[in-house]
Amino acid sequence: MSVAIGKREQRIVAIVWVIGIIVVWELASFLLKYVIQDPMASAKLPYPHIVAMTFVENWKILLEAGLVTFSRAAIGFALGSSVGILLAVLMSLSKTMERIAFPYLIVSQMIPVLGLAPIIFNIVRDMNVSRIMIAAYITFFPVAVNMLSGLKSVEQEKKDLLFSIASSKFKVYQKLMLPFSMSYLFTGLKIAAPMAVTASILVDMLGSKSGIGVKILYSLYSNSSNIFWASVLTSAFMGIISFYVVVFAERLCLPWQKATPRKEGVRA
Amino acid sequence: MKSKVITILWPLAFGIALILAWQFGLFHKVLDLKPFQLPVPSEIASTLAANLPKALKDCGVTISGALVGMIIGSLMGFMIAAIATFFPKWGYGGMIVVTALNAVPIVALSPIMNLWFSTGMEQKIAVVTVVCMAAMAINGYSGLNNINPYSIDLMHSVAASEWTIFKKLRFPNSLPYIFTASKINIASSIIAAIISEYFAASTSGLGFGIKDNLRKAEMAMGWSYIVVASLAGVILYCVILLVERDALKWHASQK
Amino acid sequence: MNAPEIQIKNVSMVYPVNNGQDIVALTDVNLDIQEGEFISLLGPSGCGKTTLLRIIADLNQPTAGSVAIRGQSPRDIRMQRKYGIVFQNPVLYDWRTVRRNICMPMEIMGIPKKERTARINRVLELVGLQDFGDKYPFELSGGMQQRVGIARALALDPEFLFMDEPFSALDEFTREKLNEDLLSIWSKAKKTVIFVTHNIPESVFLSDRVVVLSPHPGRISAIVDINLPRPRENSIRETPEFYEYVTKIRRSFEGV
Repeated sequence: MSVAIGKREQRIVAIVWVIGIIVVWELASFLLKYVIQDPMASAKLPYPHIVAMTFVENWKILLEAGLVTFSRAAIGFALGSSVGILLAVLMSLSKTMERIAFPYLIVSQMIPVLGLAPIIFNIVRDMNVSRIMIAAYITFFPVAVNMLSGLKSVEQEKKDLLFSIASSKFKVYQKLMLPFSMSYLFTGLKIAAPMAVTASILVDMLGSKSGIGVKILYSLYSNSSNIFWASVLTSAFMGIISFYVVVFAERLCLPWQKATPRKEGVRA
Repeated sequence: MKSKVITILWPLAFGIALILAWQFGLFHKVLDLKPFQLPVPSEIASTLAANLPKALKDCGVTISGALVGMIIGSLMGFMIAAIATFFPKWGYGGMIVVTALNAVPIVALSPIMNLWFSTGMEQKIAVVTVVCMAAMAINGYSGLNNINPYSIDLMHSVAASEWTIFKKLRFPNSLPYIFTASKINIASSIIAAIISEYFAASTSGLGFGIKDNLRKAEMAMGWSYIVVASLAGVILYCVILLVERDALKWHASQK
Repeated sequence: MNAPEIQIKNVSMVYPVNNGQDIVALTDVNLDIQEGEFISLLGPSGCGKTTLLRIIADLNQPTAGSVAIRGQSPRDIRMQRKYGIVFQNPVLYDWRTVRRNICMPMEIMGIPKKERTARINRVLELVGLQDFGDKYPFELSGGMQQRVGIARALALDPEFLFMDEPFSALDEFTREKLNEDLLSIWSKAKKTVIFVTHNIPESVFLSDRVVVLSPHPGRISAIVDINLPRPRENSIRETPEFYEYVTKIRRSFEGV
């Protein structure tokens, strides 16, 4: 970073930003309604305070629906992460394995996975299973690629040190490779978490009976625009929360990271 | 030379084995599926061949929307990153907000865009724009700011203006990051375009095609659309890779 | 004289390069090292000194020739975990505190917990880091980090100590201080030490013998016995004898 700003100041800046956005939004809604006189104004961009009130009034339903979607996303996320980590370890263990799997890993990202959602839903015919599957599939890629890049970034000297005391392959992974890759893994997890939530919401919208995606669609078709906006906001919060849960977990798990946190990850 | 052949042969053999296993019903047996649920590759290929003009036309609609949205979104994203760089104190806070926005599920965006824009194409472009903007802003900001402090000191030592520093140092430094963002955005723009077509008023495009064909239980057709979309994605990805190789000859990642 | 502790016979190392011009890192190196000796491998970069150390430590395999350590192969010695190694970088694990970094090889070797703790306390005191045991590496200065690397090697109580330019990244003041510390540790433990460096005064100060290597291709060009009295302290650097050795070695480079 080129500028050093204090933690306190940072927080103030962020708060001002949030307030600023709300104010601009209020203003834009007002302009849309009274200056441009758009007849659809209250649906296109309702006042944020009205959306907030709707949110407060309906928080129980929204929270319930959100939890349904969020929990499926979390299961898929856990599943996809485990498979991704496993594949990365296998690829780092065997050159042949890496040769086979890596090109497909890249190509698999080009397959519009979320485009597959309706097809997978058609095959499994079970809401929860397809939600979990798609969330898992989408989690899997960034986790595997980042984990692999972590495993490959271990400095040779660190491996030499363990080699010099004749440690077994298992010990090398246990004591060096896996802990070393943790920060890379978390980069992958941070990318994957909101994507898992997105996947889960999408499957909701494709014909589920419960979940926040259903709330979005129903309220859209039944012209209850306030509920619609509150639902959209809920889903946005879900994505943001999932991201910060991982950030929090990282702080907790990797206390030595405070000094030099890794900024960018491998996404493609 | 030998290792190069192996690098290509292994994955190729694996791919062929996979397709053969699929063709001869291994997946159907393992997953207990009927052929109408999961069409075999030969069926998908013949369906695609029979409907190629229509598939290509739909692909063109989706891809053009995705590309336009990606270009607008990337430009806007980079502008946000540049502005945030010129005003470090407030820009940093703004980037936190953008990072949060990046976590917003895209699906939630498409119904909103349906309200704002009337035609399918506009909706699509709007969704893709928003999606690509965040990734470019975040990566661009890192690129413009992850700079060796000595390089900036060197610039200051010759009394370079902020604008000169941007032009001569920050912008070239950000190029690798811009390409990273572009590679991310290629994949996500196609996905975003398809998703927006699921929900939009479109009557053409890959997303509409997939949804429509599934509704009509034409699974093979749906799959062939997926194949087309993937191929388009891979081709665009390769184009970006080629441009990157040409533009970033100096960067370590290209060796 | 006893049979040499380490016997290096006709060792050559060639790195194949794609364009056909292979790099000859070492050619026909012969060297005997006695028990308890402090040997420096000295030379400019590219002379193969690090490669030679890595061959002795079984981290690289020579393309020709052999190394015998007490009549055994380097691999046997490595499998019996008889040597400790210190690298140019401290090679600390960021996620472990100083104590747990020192502990790590002992965990792998299956040394009981009580014994580990005792050894950690002993080596921490030896390198003067008693008060820093619970810090993470990023909280330490470069010199302190390098001390941890040395402490980790010493904690194994190895019979051989291999050091690959351990102080080259440090400033001159820290380097001289650590040189002195290293000698006082060595005088207590009397291990056989092979020390790789490109710093002439450092090699003279530390060693019983300085093995001078020259590049293109890497080979031994001189072996200089250092007959300075021990124990040595930094004040010895100001004596004419010390200066003579340094000059002699420097001249041996100008000759090539």
